[in-house]
Formats: sequence, C-alpha cells, structure tokens
Amino acid sequence: MNPLREAALVETRRHFFGRTATGIGTAALASLLNPQLFATNQPNPEADLAKYRQFAPKANRVIYLFMSGAPSQLDMWDYKPQLNDWFDKDLPDTIRNGQRITTMTSGQERFPIAPSKFKFSRHGQDGVWISELLPHTAGIIDDIAVIKTVHTEAINHDPAITYIQTGSQLPGRPSTGAWVSYGLGSLNENLPAFVVLHSTVNGGFGGQALYERLWGAGFLSNRHQGVSLRSSGDPVLYLSNPQGMSESMRRRMLDELAKLNAVRYQAVGDPEIQARIAQYEMAYRMQTSVPELTDISKEPDSVLKMYGDEVKTPGTFAANCLLARRLAERGVRFTQVFIRQWDQHGNLPNDISRQCRIIDQPCAALIRDLKSKGMLDDTLVIWGGEFGRTVYCQGKLTRENYGRDHHPRCYTKWMAGGGIKPGVVYGETDDFSYNVVKDPVHIHDLNATILHCLGVNHERLTYRHQGRDFRLTDVHGNIVQPLLA
Amino acid sequence: MRPLPLTISFALTVISVQAENPVDFSREILPLLSNNCFECHGPDERERKAGLRLDTHEGALALLESGDHGVVPGDSGKSSIVTRMLTTDADDRMPPIDSGKSMRASEIAKIRQWIDEGAAWGGHWAFEKPERPSVPSEMEGWRTANAIDRFIQARLHEADLAFESRADKETLIRRVTLDLTGLPPTVKEVDAFLADTSAEAFERVVDRLLRSKKFGEHMARIWLDAARYADTHGLHLDNERTIWPYRDWVIDAFNRNQPFDQFTIEQLAGDLLPEPSLPQRVATGFNRCNVTTSEGGSIDEEYYVRYAVDRVETTSTVWLGLTAGCASCHDHKFDPLTQKEFYQLFSYFYSLTEKAMDGNIHLPPPSVKVPTDAQRTRQTQLTAMRESVRAEIDTIHQDLTYTDPHLGEPLGELSQADHVWVDDALPEGAQGDGNEGADSWKWIEDPVVSGERASTRTASGLSQHFFIQAKTPLVIGSHDRLFAYVYLDPKNPPQTVQLQFNDGSWDHRAYWGANKGHASNRKGTANHHAGDLPKPGKWTRLEVSAEAVGLQEGAKVHGLAFTQYDGTVHWDKAGVVSVALTDAQLASLSLWEQFRKHTKAAPLDKALQDILDTTPNNRTEAQRDRLRRHFLEQVHPTMKASFAQQQAALRAIDEELAAIDKAIPATLVMEERKEPRQAHILERGEYTEKREAVSSQVPEWILPGREDLPPNRLGLAQWLVDPEHPLTARVTVNRFWQQLFGTGLVKTSEDFGIQGEQPSHPELLDWLALDFVGSGWDVKRFFKQLVLSETYQQSSRVTAAKRERDPENRLLARGPRFRLDAETIRDQALAVSGLLVHQLGGKSVKPYQPSGLWKPVAFGGSNTQEFKQDSGAALYRRSMYTFWKRTAPPPSMATFDAPNRETCMVRRARTNTPLQALVLMNDVQYIEAARHLAARTLREGGATLDERLAFAVRTVLARRPTPTEAASLLNLYEDQLAAFEADTQAAKDLLATGDSPRVDALDPNEHAAWTMVAHLLLNLSETVTKG
Repeated sequence: MNPLREAALVETRRHFFGRTATGIGTAALASLLNPQLFATNQPNPEADLAKYRQFAPKANRVIYLFMSGAPSQLDMWDYKPQLNDWFDKDLPDTIRNGQRITTMTSGQERFPIAPSKFKFSRHGQDGVWISELLPHTAGIIDDIAVIKTVHTEAINHDPAITYIQTGSQLPGRPSTGAWVSYGLGSLNENLPAFVVLHSTVNGGFGGQALYERLWGAGFLSNRHQGVSLRSSGDPVLYLSNPQGMSESMRRRMLDELAKLNAVRYQAVGDPEIQARIAQYEMAYRMQTSVPELTDISKEPDSVLKMYGDEVKTPGTFAANCLLARRLAERGVRFTQVFIRQWDQHGNLPNDISRQCRIIDQPCAALIRDLKSKGMLDDTLVIWGGEFGRTVYCQGKLTRENYGRDHHPRCYTKWMAGGGIKPGVVYGETDDFSYNVVKDPVHIHDLNATILHCLGVNHERLTYRHQGRDFRLTDVHGNIVQPLLA
Repeated sequence: MRPLPLTISFALTVISVQAENPVDFSREILPLLSNNCFECHGPDERERKAGLRLDTHEGALALLESGDHGVVPGDSGKSSIVTRMLTTDADDRMPPIDSGKSMRASEIAKIRQWIDEGAAWGGHWAFEKPERPSVPSEMEGWRTANAIDRFIQARLHEADLAFESRADKETLIRRVTLDLTGLPPTVKEVDAFLADTSAEAFERVVDRLLRSKKFGEHMARIWLDAARYADTHGLHLDNERTIWPYRDWVIDAFNRNQPFDQFTIEQLAGDLLPEPSLPQRVATGFNRCNVTTSEGGSIDEEYYVRYAVDRVETTSTVWLGLTAGCASCHDHKFDPLTQKEFYQLFSYFYSLTEKAMDGNIHLPPPSVKVPTDAQRTRQTQLTAMRESVRAEIDTIHQDLTYTDPHLGEPLGELSQADHVWVDDALPEGAQGDGNEGADSWKWIEDPVVSGERASTRTASGLSQHFFIQAKTPLVIGSHDRLFAYVYLDPKNPPQTVQLQFNDGSWDHRAYWGANKGHASNRKGTANHHAGDLPKPGKWTRLEVSAEAVGLQEGAKVHGLAFTQYDGTVHWDKAGVVSVALTDAQLASLSLWEQFRKHTKAAPLDKALQDILDTTPNNRTEAQRDRLRRHFLEQVHPTMKASFAQQQAALRAIDEELAAIDKAIPATLVMEERKEPRQAHILERGEYTEKREAVSSQVPEWILPGREDLPPNRLGLAQWLVDPEHPLTARVTVNRFWQQLFGTGLVKTSEDFGIQGEQPSHPELLDWLALDFVGSGWDVKRFFKQLVLSETYQQSSRVTAAKRERDPENRLLARGPRFRLDAETIRDQALAVSGLLVHQLGGKSVKPYQPSGLWKPVAFGGSNTQEFKQDSGAALYRRSMYTFWKRTAPPPSMATFDAPNRETCMVRRARTNTPLQALVLMNDVQYIEAARHLAARTLREGGATLDERLAFAVRTVLARRPTPTEAASLLNLYEDQLAAFEADTQAAKDLLATGDSPRVDALDPNEHAAWTMVAHLLLNLSETVTKG
C-alpha cells in the first residue's frame, strides 16, 4: 500500500480512537496500518521459501529433547552382552586405533573395559534390546526410530554441543531452531517461533554449562533467537506489568502510545513506526497468551498421570515435556527442552539411574500424548545428547561402579513422529560400541534429516553473510533415507 | 525524464539506469562471476572444474580441455561461458541446477555486452589503491557545506532526486548529540542552541560534543563490538576475566583523539614497540579479548590454533574488510587470499606466551598491573611514611644496648604450648556450615572441657559441622600436632569420629574408629587412620601430627570439619600444639637462632633468611646488625615493646600497601614467545593435519610488504596503516559513515571482497579515505566533517515517493533515521530521568537483570553462575560498563540486537520485535527511570500542567509537544490521576519499583500519574529512534 494513502486512511479514521479509551481503537488502527505487520513470524520475507521448501513437509514442528552432558549409549541403548567377558581387560589397540581421547583419560595407564551393569531385555515387535533403565521408553519402541551410529568430531562439551546445535564447533552460527524459525516462521502470531525450556534435576540446576549461543540466532536476525520460557519469575522475560500498573492502565497507556506513534508516522512517514505499533500489540497479546500456555490446570488427570508426579512441579523435565506439547499444539515451530547432568565420568550407575528415572516416563508420555492428539504425524521429536561415552572406564572400576569419558565416535539418539519411520533401529557399532561398523550418521546428516522432515532442502536454506551463503549443515550433510517414513 | 527503476538497490540494478555506458568490469562483471562461477572456477585450485578459471584474465581466455575458450573477446557467441549459461540442456546449464544458483537474463546480457565490448579485464575495486577523485562541481540552488555534499548531490541529481529540507534545530541537536555521545541533549543545551542564532551555532555544538568525554565512551562502545570485548572467558565455565583496563584505554584513546594509525599499531602490537609504555601494553588487550576455554579434557594444540584463527579473522574483518576465515580450510572461494597466505597471517598471532587453557582465572597470563593515579599517589605517600617510621626505629636502636644472656649455650629442653583455634566460637570470619547448612553449629553447656560451651551433634549415618574461610589461618609449624577434644555419648556412641582440615583442599583427614568417614575409599594423608575410638563418657584429647594428614610446615589451614558416623558427639577446643621457647630463652638471640634451625621454622624474608643461613662467623657487620635489629624489634620478649608503636605503624602501612597492590587492576596483554612457534598450513583447518611450514608474511597482492618492517605483529600493523594500503582507510571511514548514516557506503562493512556489496558512492568513499589518511588519521576531524555536511543535516522525514524510490536511503535524499542501539536506549532513559551516574571507566557493573538467568545454564563450578546485582550508583552507569557474560549476555541489551561478543562484529542488525516492547514496558530499569523523570517534571517542570508536560517532552525528545500530542498526553494524565486517586496503594506500589527511594514530598497519586506519562514517553517510537 502506498504510505501516503495509508496515512490518509489513518487520518479519516481518527474518530475511531479519538474518543475511546479501550483497546478497540488500537486494534482498528493496527489493522488499518498494515495487517502484514502482525504476521512478523509468518514465512519469512528475508528468505525465499520456494528456493528451499522443496518437499512436502511431513513435520510442521519439532520438539527436541536435549540430554546435555552426553548420556551413555552403552548403559541405555547399545547392548553389548559379550563385554561381560571383557571386564577389566584392556581395550584392544586395534579398536582404539590411535584415535584421540580427552586429556582427562589420556594420562591413564590402562583403558579397562567397563561392561554395563544394567540388564537389557527385548521390546516391541522386533524385539529391540533396551536397558532396564528405560521401562517406559521401551513401551513406545514401536513408535520411534533408534539411531545407534550418530557421530561427531568434537570431544569436549562446549565445542560438541555448539557443533550439534549450530553446525560449527566455533561460536557464531545460528542454531537449528533459529534456522527453522528463519526458514518457516511461526504458526502462531502470539508466540515466538522457537522456544527453549530448561529442566531442573532434583530441584536444582548444575552440570555441564549451556550457552545462549546454543539457541542463538548467530548472524540471522535476532527475531529467530530461541526464547527461554522460564519456570520461575516471568515465563517470558519482562512479561508482567510493574506492580501498581493494572491491566486496564496498561491498555490505556498502549492505546495512547499507538495514537501518538501513528501521529508521528503521519508526520515523518517512517514504516518502522507502523512495525513498532504492531510489535507493541503482539507484546500485549503475549501478556495474555503466555500465562494461558503455562497454565496446565485444565489438562485432564489422565494426561497428567501419564507424565508422572513431577509434571506438577514447574521446571521439571516432566512439566517441560507437557509444556512442549502445549507449545507444539499452539503452533510453535521448534521447542527445545534441555536437561543437564548426564556427564558421568564417575559414579555412572547411580547417576544415570537418577537421570533415567527423571526422563523415561515423560519421554514416553510425550510420544503417547502427541499420538493420542493426532499430532505425532506432523511433530518431529528428537532425543539425545552431544556425544556418547567410552566403553573403557574412567577412574576406579568395579562390576557395580564405574565412570565413562567422552566418546564422539558413536552414540545413540532417537527420533519419532513427522516424517520418521517408526520401529526402526538404524546403524551398527562394533563389539565395544567404539566404532561404527555400518550406516554412520554424522550430526550434519542428522540435521539435514531434521530439515528434510520439515520439507526443507538443507542445501538450499542459506543466508548470505560475509559474502558466503551459510547453511546449518555447512558443506556437509546427507539425508538418512532409511529413517524416513 | 529518463525512465527510472522502481527502487534503487545496490550491487547491480543501479547500473541499469545507465545502460548506454560501457560495462565496468570491476563493478559489474566481477561480482557476477564471483557470485555464480567462482565456487568451481575461482581461486581454489582443488575445487576447480573443467580447467576453467574465471578469476584471472589468462584463465578466462585460456584454451579449455573441451577445445573451447571460456571467453573470446569481442564474440560472446563463441564464448563457452555464455553458451553454457544460455543452453536449454539442463545438464549443461551453468551455473548448475544443484548449486542452487541461477542467473537472470539481464545478468547474462550484461556478460554478453562485456565480452562483445572486448572483455576488458581489471581488478576488484577495493584491492586497487584509491585515486583521489575530482570533487563534482557545486550545483546551483543546493545547500552545500563541503565536498561530501557535492558527491552526494551529483548522484542524487543523476537519479532525479533532491535534498530534503534541513532538519529543524531541535531535531538536529538531538541527532548530533546522540551520534557523537550516545546520550540525548539536556533541555539547557537545546535552549542554548536555539538561542544561538549565529552561523556557527551548530559547529559550536559539534565542537563541544567532540570535547566531551562522552564522545570517547560512545566511540569505544562501538569499537568494543569489533574487539569482541567482554567480562568472561566465553567458553565452558565462562568465568570472569579482567580486561576492562583495555576498555578504558579505548575510551581514552578516542578522547585524546589518538590518530587511527597509532590506535591500530598499539592495539595490534603495542608490546613490540621500542620500550612500550604501560598504556601501549594495555592496548594489546584487543587481541586478548577472544573467547578462551579451560574445559577439562581439551587438547592444548587445538586451542592454540583456534585462538590464532580468531585473531586473524578479527584483524582482517576490522582492518581489511576481508572474510579471511574462509581460507583457513582452503583457498578463498572468491577473493585471491590463498590458504598459504592465511597461515602466514596466522603465524603473526601464533607465537604468544599465553597458555591454551585459561585456567578459569581472572588473569590468565600475560597480564600487567594498571594502577590508577590515586593508587599511585597513595603508594608513594605510604612508601615515604614507611621511611620515616624506619627512621624512628633507628633512633630507638641508638638508645638500646643488648647483650645475649645465653651466648654459646646449647638449646636444651623445649616446652610445648597449645595454640587454641576454636573454643566457644568459630574463628573470626569463618563461615559455619554442615549438614543443616548455616544452622549446623549447635552448642551445649554441659559437658564442657574448656570455656563456656561445646559444639554437639547427633547423627544417623555420616554427618558433620564445619567451617571455612577463617580470617586468620592456622599456620602449621614443623613438629606441630593438631588436636581437638571429644566426648562420646556412652548411650549413643558413634562408629567413627573424623577431623578434616582445609588448606584450600579438604584432602587432609584423620579418623578414629571405623573407616566410615568422608573419603573412606582413600588412603594415606587424605584419610589417615589415627587410632581407635576414644572411651565414651569422658573428654579425650585427639591428637594427630600435621604431617600425618599431609599438612607441611607453612601450610595455612582455613577450615576444620568435625565429622562423625552415627551417635552423639560433643566437641570442644581445638587447635595446634607447638613446641616453643620460654621467655627467658627467647631473650637470647643465639638460642632463638638455634631453635629456628631445630624446628625448621618457615623462612623469614629473603635477606634475613640469607643472613641466618650464613655461619655466624662469616656474617658481615652489616648483616649482624640487621639480624640483631630484627631480633630486638620483633622477637625479644621485653625489648620488642619499645618498638611496638612503630611496628604497628609499619604493619598498618604494609597492610595498606598490600591492599592497594591487591586492588590495583590488572589486564590481559599480548606478549611474544622468545622461541617462536612454527606455523604450518593446516589441511582443512585441522590442527592435526600439518602441512608446509610457513612464516609470518602479509598478502602481497593487497600491498607488497616493505623490507624495513619487522616480520612480526608490529610490521603487520605498520603495513595495515601504510598510506598506500588500499583497504584500511576505506574500511575504517566506511564504518564511521555507517555509524552516522545507518548503512555504510559499502553496505557490507565487514566484507570489501568480491562478494561484498559495491559502494553506493565509490568516488566519495575514496575521497573520504584519502582525506582521512591525509589528515593524519584524525578521527574527530573526520566526524566533524561528516556532521557538518548538509547531507547529514537534512530532515529525515520521508515522502512516499522517496521511500518508494530509495527505501534504504542509500542515496541520502533525506537525513538518517534508524532505531538507537541497545546501550543508547538505556543510557538515554537514565539520562533523561536524572539517574545516570557519570563515572568514566572502572570495573564492570551489574545493574538490574531478571533473576534466575545464569543459574539454569551455568556450569556448577562457574564463578558466574550466580548473578549478584549491584546496588547504588552501579545501577545507573552507562550501559557500556554493564558486566558482559558472554554465554548469557544482559537480556535487555541482547533483545535490542547487542551482539554476544563471542566473535568480532562490525555491523549490528536493527530489528523491531515484541520482546523489545516488553523490555521498555516492564524492565524495572525503565519503570524506575519513568518515575524519576516524573519527579523531575514535578520539581523542575514548572507549575502548570502544560509547562510540566512541555518539560517532560523536551527532556526526552528535545522538542515541544504538538497541541494534538499535548492534549492526548494530558488526557492520559487526568485518567491515570483519577485511577490512582481511587487506589493510592497502586500509586505507591508503582513508585516502589526500583532500588532508589521515592521522593516522599511528592503526592503519590500525582507522581504516579506523571510516571505513566513519562513511561509512555520512554516507549515512543520517536524516543528509541534517531530521526
């Protein structure tokens, strides 16, 4: 629309808000100005959708359950019964093959094998081996695809988690969620496209560090940055009006603000002013929509029960899984739930048991919940961490207690829902869960596959920065076809 | 009138205005080839396909494997690059479909035109030395202040656009004050400018602003984005680091208008200058600002490489406007920078004395101490005072005579003495803790063995109370034994009692009874078995030698834990038992000497200890005197009293000196290794894949290195600021331009390479660059010239026609208008409210931030996991002093596009989001500012509502409200006043926002209603915009 005509329209409708103190005036004003402006999170004007949206999307949104610190694939997923005979024997050199290891264990004189102390049994139609740590997840095994051969190059947490989240070990690139927000926008104009949830462990935080960059927008516009939804204080930063300012006062102030901004727009003709009016309206709507989102009091008991007792404590992993479903339901494109304290260099059996008690039931509940709501078909769920853990023991080894160092060369993640073939177990590792024997899945491949499920060609979703077209998968990434439905 | 394109955008379409002109290879063709062809036919040899190379003239003309020529000058029909672009065969079509690239028909036509015109070749414009362009002639009827205007106007004229009228004075002073200081003008300053009707009025304002210290702060704040300055290490633990003296150096450098070439040299290589001054060393903090790690498990070599790569990338972005990082893995795809040249640059930064692991400490070496003037003055004073006290001591010595009463006698029998550390109370400064946290220490008055009370504990399982951080530590001497009194309840005896000592580590333990205490899996000094459980029902003295628990002589114990397994246990006095001399023995210098030797006492200061270590007969007279003095002053049981006053004075002086020394800030600097580390080309950028060894060298194709320059960072810096350098000055003036006009003449201010955008005004850019160098790299002069231009002083109002023609305002047919930066928005709110505390420099501060932002993400052991908000003045400092935690930057800044400072950034985005609205609506900082602005309005704004409103609006916007605005705002005021009068508690609640107290003298309802008006003003689009 021609800006002068817009200004004229504003002028002719001045009576609309000239005499009213309610929100109607502003709403009317805003719709007069430019309805497009309310759609800031709709498919992105900066990106050329046709260029990279090349497949029919199977998934419309993503829930990424991120296990920060790196869970042990050997104790949860990658069943190696023959290791019992290898207890306290040295890892053969032919297996390690001179690969670099962290300086936390590179000084160890020996690399004694630590078999998992946990029992495995077979579940689902194909009899997939799953550890006793995951009784609930075992119940959804036919709905998920387990990938045993994910691998990366990074061997320490900071570079590794930065790598899997942004496609580069060095800070500075956009995160996966930011790319998705950039590429696909939001389905809900009242909520951000990318939301991040942090989970408490036994009421506290701690464990390996996380960084804003892990859900950052890098060189993309910061509107694609993940917004942390907090479990204490304002769920979204600065959401609540200050004390003493009632909702009606806020509305009145915003109406007057919009009016004065519109007057200014008439005088100077800067379209940024229109955009700002629209942003204030969205902020106002968020003040209502976010509390509604986090209020789970209307969830049926049966649902709450499914997620377990902790679901009622905000900030727990269980509560965050339910919240993730509610976000997905409301059209949030990308929700990432973080839970830390998987970095078990010592005392692993005890600590991993605690972690699995926390995550097992909610993970399974999330899948069941999505399924029962008919949402699993177009919601992609991903579970896993930044790398795996070593078969050899770090520190003192007994049958009952051991620790494991970082292991980048193979580890397990699972995916489910939109676009993913259920009931698949993909990839094989060697007898020591040390090397990939068949069907490796590099983390770039994984990210390429995630984008593919969203209907996005990972090689085409690019952003020109410093003269180069950057993408999430850098110059790598192959879609893992056998995982696709 | 010529037909005009609908919009004017840069790079290529702008050229279509002038279709009749011959094609300019450098500006029109090279970017097309680069964008579409260079990935496979460019400088990177390994990726080159079909033997075709289009980044060199010879390559383009060469005979190909296919028998064709890529380019046949004068005949586009025979040029295979054209036929391949035009073919309908999808398999042959260039660029290939799977590359995701495609060329427009107009672009292919342009290439054909170029070939048909003879395929003239040339270099990329930015790599050619700028030639002084002729300044276009002045145009009649246009307002022209200087050469800048003439360049701008010539281009506008070409596009049939004209200047906007000059901005009114109120707009102008707000614009220029924000631009040069990052703060708004005060009402007084606006009035003075309005009153000054002379022709020089504006220039006077500009001069005043350039003299203001705020100029340096503002300039530094922007520079620090490029320097990736922050207050934490950035990786893994993200602990605090101290480098703010570098930040203050930058402020000072801009304020004293240090020439930009010197500014460059000192930051890149200040340490390598002959006899560098302290500030010159501090300046090298620039390249210590990079992120570092100390993550357990990391491999040093990997990080040495990463740090050097970061420094090359930063240095080349800031000075060369080149994206060198691409060449760390392979030859640059677009620009002529080879991988070898990258590692030659890398080599300059690869030989520092820094360690790969930052140790998570404040000052990973190398660092320097940077005392403030006040600290230096006080140090001098104290040193003088020390001298005069020493002189008094000399006088006392003159009146004393001393004869050793036991000269020549042997040491004989020694007595033992208890030094009690804990009895009835914890030692001073100690923090009590234990199983019940701060409530862990419980006391009883019976049974007691010493003093008034004993601590007690009943436990099931392992349990303890302890303390740490005792102010005066227990210093362990030789032969010392540690003791504590214990009483086990006969009705409920424990299985284990354990003492644990902390000298920084708790690994000093002794237990009695079963091995069920802490660290039961450990042996040796970390868990020493000292005996059986004592008999219950009576006090027993537990004793263990310090040596047995691994505490060596001189160890300082700050903490003690009383631990038990099950049972009820009472504990009483604890401490250390030492051997000691009697007073009679201590009156003898020779016995004291023997005693020290016998007990292997901790050494005295070096000079004294050297004397003690010298056989008495071999000591010089001066040494004997020195020793005797020490003995009389500090050891002799009676005589030392004569010196007590002076000794106390000396102690006080020394303590203060030590405190100053501790308080003197230090900062990270660069330092070259004596033995340089050999750099290599690294295959794919992998640190393990070393190839050819390379040495430090500049990329010669930009500008040949001069023989007389040293082959180190200093030579690199001097090369960068060589007046012949094609890039440095252009890149720098472009950033300055961007700072004022919102967009650089080259929009991609970080990339002047072939993939970067073409300059909107190439001649102007060159003119500015040469002018800047010619002026001696004078930064203040440069900014003055810019703001005095008529171009800058235009109104920023935009008509529909102009907006449609030039939405980004690249041609400048109107004044600049864009949202203020994050820091400026907050600083402005603080300034207009009167809250701003203007203190230059210093340690970073922690103003308001919503709670619980650091904890959920921080590593458990990080010293930045708890955000502790500052109080008082620290809440109201300029935002450039806000503590910057890289992994969780201050949210109100990040929301307004402040970068996270992990990497170099020379161009910020400017978004417009709902989260920004929420910050301005609800951040306590802004609500508090609103209520202070309201209080100022009530107290300083005059008596009537109209006057007050005018004051508030002028304070925020530098202009008066229009009648419409005034009516609207007063209407709001009346409504809110009525609402607060109906609910005064709400008014009081609102006015309680923020730490600063409310002014009680003001009526709360009125104050709150004005607060709402002020709040609205701070939220106006105009307020957060420079217009």
